[in-house]
Amino acid sequence: MGRSVKFFVVALVSVLALGLSMAHAKSLDQIITAGEIRVGVNPNQPPLGFFNDKNEVVGFDPEFADAVAKKLGVKLQIVQLGSPDRIPFVSADKIDFVMGAMTRTSERAKVIDFTVPVHTEILGVLTTEKRPAKDYKDYKAFDRPDITLVEVRGTTPIAFIEKNLPKAKVLLLDNYPDVVRAIAQGRGDAHIDVIDFVIKHTEAHKQVKWRVVETPVTVYYCCLGVSKGNETLKNWLNVAIFELHRDGVIEDLWKKHFGSPMLYKVKWTDWF
Amino acid sequence: MQYTVHFGQVVKYIPYLLGGAWLSLQIAFLAFCGGMVIGLAGAMAKTYGNRLLRGIVNAYVTFFTNTPQLVQIYFIFFGLPQFGLVLSPYEAVLVGMTINAGAYATEIQRAGFLSVHRSELEAAETVGMSLLQSVRYVILPHLAKVLYPPFSNLYIIMTLGTSMAAIFGVEELTGRSLNVNATTFRSIEVFSITAGLYILVTIVASFILLYLGRWLFRVKGKVF
Repeated sequence: MGRSVKFFVVALVSVLALGLSMAHAKSLDQIITAGEIRVGVNPNQPPLGFFNDKNEVVGFDPEFADAVAKKLGVKLQIVQLGSPDRIPFVSADKIDFVMGAMTRTSERAKVIDFTVPVHTEILGVLTTEKRPAKDYKDYKAFDRPDITLVEVRGTTPIAFIEKNLPKAKVLLLDNYPDVVRAIAQGRGDAHIDVIDFVIKHTEAHKQVKWRVVETPVTVYYCCLGVSKGNETLKNWLNVAIFELHRDGVIEDLWKKHFGSPMLYKVKWTDWF
Repeated sequence: MQYTVHFGQVVKYIPYLLGGAWLSLQIAFLAFCGGMVIGLAGAMAKTYGNRLLRGIVNAYVTFFTNTPQLVQIYFIFFGLPQFGLVLSPYEAVLVGMTINAGAYATEIQRAGFLSVHRSELEAAETVGMSLLQSVRYVILPHLAKVLYPPFSNLYIIMTLGTSMAAIFGVEELTGRSLNVNATTFRSIEVFSITAGLYILVTIVASFILLYLGRWLFRVKGKVF
């Protein structure tokens, strides 16, 4: 038994060490040399990312990533991922930068680095015409023990709910379509997230009377997430994002995919 | 540019993760017990039942051993509400895992039944044992020895399989690990500890099964 345990421990440590030593982010030069940039996109977040009829991932994120790749003069490789996978994919060097509405928070910034903001997102409440949430006009009304909020694991609203709506119950699921389905089936009362990103999923449940609570919750800034300390890539991306803002590319892409201008614009400056 | 490991930020979550490990063991245990009961009925139907009964059990076993457990639970969780039956995440996972375990247990127990030779029963009868005595002293010890190893394996596999409950909102070990990961973003640290806890849970379960087997059925075996 003793030898087996020793062997097992040595094997585990070796695998872990190997895994860590291989997690090495590509610098800007290495990306240019490789001729390809790998970008993480969530295909379950329309209109940021979704599958078209040909099963390709399209939307705001892929088109933005394409504009970045063109500026750098390299090929674009889209890597599909879910919300909870975004940071692990960057940390493990599976991708060069991540999108998928990557909200800038100080907690996340301990592990990965953020570029300047690409877009904003307005947090709101999606609910139905059913009791008990029928008449709530403000997110604070949802702070009740008989309310169940359904959320996607690994997303920013969870910390917001823990802090601001501590009495409400929370059911954590894996992705946005499941969250919307769970509310449609009566497993929960509401969903707090960026309504622009989830509203498309409600189309699959037309029998439900959906309602968006009038008062928005808060504004978040979404950036690109890059590997911790990858300064060469981050600095270049900052300049590229500045140019894409200044030239109106981001605003045009937003209007194309969301059908209206960004509700709360990123105020780009000389200092980007 | 290299990732720096910080276990210190994750260690404080170990009691929270252990709570999840306890829930994993609980789900596995309950589903296993339920599966054993279904398996016993299924095996009896398959061995001694009429054609219709055998056909029904065969269809059940074929369906549940040839489709992924995840898909089965997905159907129970999101499919059944379309027919008006809404189970809680815990219930849906438990029902799904029990039905799945029942299909595997049916096959395992059927093999056990078939392994009892007629000559053994005849020998018991010859020495004057009643039916109850034959079951207690001949059939059960024989079955236990034959069935104990595959059942132990099934239990361990089921314990690890509880990880899929996280997808359905059950806060077991994997679910809680994903939560800690979403709070700390220390994936390598969180999942290293989670892997360690799973190993701990399965080793503890293996030892309990080993000593239970030795004590109850004199089954010989070892963990390492």
